[in-house]
Amino acid sequence: MKIALAQISPRLGNMRQNLQLHTDYIQKAKKKNVDLLIFPELSLTGYSLKDMVEEVAVDPQTDPLFEKLKSLSREISFVVGFVEEKEKGLFFNSAAFLSKGKIAHIHRKIYLPTYGMFEELKFFGEGKNFHTFPTQFGKVGMLICYDFLHVSSSYLLFLGGSELIIAISAAPGRGFTDEESYASARMWELMGEAVSRFFQSFVIYCNRVGFEDGKSFAGGSFIYNPGGQLIAKCPYVDEDFLVKNIDLDDIRRFRKSRPYRRDEKPELTLEAFKRIVAKYED
Amino acid sequence: MKINPAFAEKLISRFIKEELSKFNYKKGILGLSGGLDSTVCAYLAASALGPRNVIALIMPYKNTFERDVADATDLANRLNLKFHIIDISPMVDAYYTNFPTESRILKGNKMARERMSILYDFSEREKALILGTSNKTELLLGYGTIHGDLACAINPMGDLYKTQIRQLARYLKIPAKILKKKPTAGLWAGQTDEGELGLTYHKIDKILYQLVDLRKTKKELISEGIQKKDLERLIELIKNSEFKRHLPPIPKISARTVGHDFLYPYDWDK
Repeated sequence: MKIALAQISPRLGNMRQNLQLHTDYIQKAKKKNVDLLIFPELSLTGYSLKDMVEEVAVDPQTDPLFEKLKSLSREISFVVGFVEEKEKGLFFNSAAFLSKGKIAHIHRKIYLPTYGMFEELKFFGEGKNFHTFPTQFGKVGMLICYDFLHVSSSYLLFLGGSELIIAISAAPGRGFTDEESYASARMWELMGEAVSRFFQSFVIYCNRVGFEDGKSFAGGSFIYNPGGQLIAKCPYVDEDFLVKNIDLDDIRRFRKSRPYRRDEKPELTLEAFKRIVAKYED
Repeated sequence: MKINPAFAEKLISRFIKEELSKFNYKKGILGLSGGLDSTVCAYLAASALGPRNVIALIMPYKNTFERDVADATDLANRLNLKFHIIDISPMVDAYYTNFPTESRILKGNKMARERMSILYDFSEREKALILGTSNKTELLLGYGTIHGDLACAINPMGDLYKTQIRQLARYLKIPAKILKKKPTAGLWAGQTDEGELGLTYHKIDKILYQLVDLRKTKKELISEGIQKKDLERLIELIKNSEFKRHLPPIPKISARTVGHDFLYPYDWDK
């Protein structure tokens, strides 16, 4: 299977130009016989939207923009990030998996960072669930940015039988190190490695680049195989288009040698959670 | 608090280039004093935009800083920047003929705002975006003139402490004579930042880094051996200069108000 990552820099609040950018990358990916192309979080709108959220929100079931995207997905599957108006006046930071001319699944971001430089809860509603869904490539689970930094998100996808975990992101870089990258890059890679190794899924992380109001999106998108090995990586802060062949049989291979999934005990975890939560106080 | 200077250079150059192109500018303009910060900014701008797209304004008052003017001119030539030397004495003196003062602060502020006024005038004449040269240390301490040297369109080095700019400057191989200079706001002859602040930049940055970047508490810092008096002085400076880091407050009357709940990004549709 051939996967591509579009580590792009969308134009903030300009859907028309961003749709063109997506179309260009989709054509480019088609030419390279890519099966699945991933765009970053809020790829169709840009990230720091603030009051623009309502102006760029679309209902994917009815909006002409999604008609265009659906028709583009007849020959290639892809994931985009957008602002979803699920009901009138209800906005979500969402990811759509499009394939075979249809929307296969929509994930609404659950963990909305609202601290320091982040203010998502001010503008978005919270998603309610992590789902896996069947695709021609296997079972897929999607996460958006801060979702991925909560290990329970990936754990739930793992229990849901995920084979590919796709995390799309608009993560600004933070902190300096001796290396030619942000200190925060290590955090994403560490999670990618841990999740792929212990939840035995491919982890495909697509981050964006470019500046918005001085925030610098750090790039560094990557793919880990289900054994926790880094198999592809984009540069930090530079725009990039990465194409990588992955072997879906890796999933079976790694699970045979270390049967974490077989031996997992969700019932035990559930009962333990109930006990812990029952003791919570206000 | 060491930075990777290659990464800092790449990031800041990219920021300058990207920000200018978003607003349809090809050229950047900055005030060049012959000191460390504006020199580093000139290097970064030249690498981001190409030297012929960088306009440097050298704006001395009388002959107070002749050596700096010579260094700035030398640097502009060395980097192949476009530059103008503009003497601000006639404008500043004309004002003080009517409103005389001996206050160095008043004079210094007036000069800083005169330079700002000329930068904005040239910005429009030359269709060049103003690059600020403030560093993180002076932004936090409020060590700059509001609507004077703090005024700019973008502030490329605003997240680097003075000592980090020095580290970047060594990496960029800026002339040793500039690197060795004692930092000064250039408000009057003999003024040095460290003399005025009463602490070395090395000490100040070490404290600010722990206080701001690492979010350590006052108590923790004192227990780690930071002088209480130094720490309290810096915290006072930060507190009392918060107004320089904001747009002025507006009393809320309507249902939607600029600055309160009319919230759009700077890079709106960019």
